[in-house]
Amino acid sequence: MITGCQRASSTAAGSKKLIILGIDGMDPQLLRQFMGEGKMPNFAKLASEGSFRELGTSIPPQSPVAWSNLITGMNAGGHGIFDFIHRDPKTLEPYFSASRVEGPKHALHLGQWVIPLGGGSAEQLRKGAAFWEILDQHHVRNVLFRIPSNFPPVPAKGETLSGMGTPDLRGTYGTFSFYTDDPTQAAGAVEGGQIIPVEVENSRVTANLIGPDNSFRKGSPPAMEPFSVAVDPLEAVAKVSVQDQEFVLREGEWSDWVHVEFDLVPWFASVKGMCRFYLKQAHPRFQLYVSPLNIDPADPALPISTPSSYSRTLAEEAGEYYTQGIAEDTKALSDAVLDDKEYLEQARTVLAEHRKIFDAEFPKFHEGLFFFYFSSLDLNSHMFWRLMDPKHPEYDAALAAQYGSTIEKFYQQIDQVLGEVLPKLDEQTTLLVLSDHGFAPYYRSFNLNTWLLQNGYIKLKAGSDASTDTNQPFANVDWSATRAYGLGLNGLYLNLRGREAGGIVQPGTEADGLIKEIDQKLLAVRDPKTGFAVITRMDIASEVYQGPYARSGPDVIVGYNRGYRAGWKTILGAFPPDVLEDNSNPWSGDHCMDSSLVPGVLLSNRPIPAPAPALTDIAPTILAEFGIAKTKDMMGHSVFQSAPQARKN
Amino acid sequence: MFGSHKVKIEGELLDKAKQCADACGYESVDEFVIHMLEKEIKKVLPPDEGTPSKELVKKRLQGLGYIE
Repeated sequence: MITGCQRASSTAAGSKKLIILGIDGMDPQLLRQFMGEGKMPNFAKLASEGSFRELGTSIPPQSPVAWSNLITGMNAGGHGIFDFIHRDPKTLEPYFSASRVEGPKHALHLGQWVIPLGGGSAEQLRKGAAFWEILDQHHVRNVLFRIPSNFPPVPAKGETLSGMGTPDLRGTYGTFSFYTDDPTQAAGAVEGGQIIPVEVENSRVTANLIGPDNSFRKGSPPAMEPFSVAVDPLEAVAKVSVQDQEFVLREGEWSDWVHVEFDLVPWFASVKGMCRFYLKQAHPRFQLYVSPLNIDPADPALPISTPSSYSRTLAEEAGEYYTQGIAEDTKALSDAVLDDKEYLEQARTVLAEHRKIFDAEFPKFHEGLFFFYFSSLDLNSHMFWRLMDPKHPEYDAALAAQYGSTIEKFYQQIDQVLGEVLPKLDEQTTLLVLSDHGFAPYYRSFNLNTWLLQNGYIKLKAGSDASTDTNQPFANVDWSATRAYGLGLNGLYLNLRGREAGGIVQPGTEADGLIKEIDQKLLAVRDPKTGFAVITRMDIASEVYQGPYARSGPDVIVGYNRGYRAGWKTILGAFPPDVLEDNSNPWSGDHCMDSSLVPGVLLSNRPIPAPAPALTDIAPTILAEFGIAKTKDMMGHSVFQSAPQARKN
Repeated sequence: MFGSHKVKIEGELLDKAKQCADACGYESVDEFVIHMLEKEIKKVLPPDEGTPSKELVKKRLQGLGYIE
């Protein structure tokens, strides 16, 4: 029996403790499988002696939306996060939904220098009170490690570190650099980074680390810091010199964190970051990977924690760590800059850093709430699904023999974390282990905008051809004749009069009829390769969202069947030639689908009588644990109550 | 079709434009005026398809992993 299962309900609020392990992307089907195979004994113990339920996810089941549901107890109509990607209806300019980083608005120009008047800012776009703000009001201590959708962190009395949504030092969500003298490697920007050509002269390479845009200089060119590499002419070894640091790397070796200070105005302004180097190859071709420049937790250029000193304290106690919101460099694997083994080393480092911080912080927890987030299952299920699923187009038997159990091994590491927690539970402590969504294979891409084009809902300008450039968002679209468009991973928008700049669809009867017509057609789409339905659910925003922002997002949320997802290029408004195509990217598992097909998990050391627990129940549950009434905006109920409830995702 | 258009600036406005161009490090009054016009146009009109800002947005978002 796990302590806590039979605890009295009258325990004083002051002595209560609540531990939440937030495991992004933990899937109930995989968890059941691994528990059944005896590979996750701690989860099996918790499930058998406490409870294990599926947790209703958000519409759509994307992490920023899902975690915002959890944080606020509201759905997207209340917190305003509908997708990873939103758009400005007047310009159709896409942007990351959860936060915005802006430079200074005014500047003083002095010669080639532009002196910003006031600093830049980071703005959180999630609306609604976070549950820990309410805990603060009631003097409940709380610690939250890397909870997503909290950059910049909301002001808080507790200790919080921002997670998903935190940019790198360049303001992107991760831009690596790859230095090579290989002439076959095309120089320039790739999906998640930059290929930088270098020359090896007299066994020496000199190049620049590319820093943030320097708003102090006219035109805001990127700040640069030179570094050099002395390549041993005989051995596969190189010595890297960056500012006042020198270190030797063998081929196939990663550096520790390397600190870099970018001078923006000499003697006046600088910004600090840190990165890791990986010598992929010394000979015959020079290949050096440099990670995205992370915000230095000891001296953060942007706010990443509360109190501001907390990020430094963590680094001092547990070592330096990735501060970038999505730390696993999935794009380096997709771009073939890192191979499976190399990416996996990097991803394991991310989890090792998190576990070190967990080991340092968890023993200090004695009261209130302790929330700890793990990203590993999500990112590595995205990248390694192909090697555990022979039906995936990218399945490779040889690679599967090496890496087919990668996802399972990450699940087992999370089981070990739970194994550290279970012995610490006592009568006063409630444990919740939960995920924001589950997982599914991503076999085939559906290019929604291509389908809308082929079905006459998008019209092109006379004489133009959409297929000539699939990288141009909404290239050649004639907005005066276009009735609907797709943007984001699950968003379908009408070109609505009075909302979109060139809107033509009249709100009301015309809009409602058009939604119904498109819904019916999309639900009838069958994949000619498999015969399966591609889309199994269409959620109309006005029916599923409640709150002041209910009309700010997509008009319809497209729910893809397991195995299907919005195509890579349709997401930002391009028109690949085919409506359906195989997914040939290593990013091979996904969850941006029909929300009913990818529920998350909820485990506790206490019985969960709620008939259909969902993410929107978690904030009310947390508050109820400390005897605090939920706010009127929160739509769920404590999962420890048995009262029937309407499901609102 | 792209064309060209000349605008006559004279008197006090020209003097001030020269001062600003010098203070801000522009090569000429022409360069300064064109830059100012571009800035103001950006505020008023939606950006053109394929402008650098769209590319920058795309670059930022690619790090999320979900888009190419």
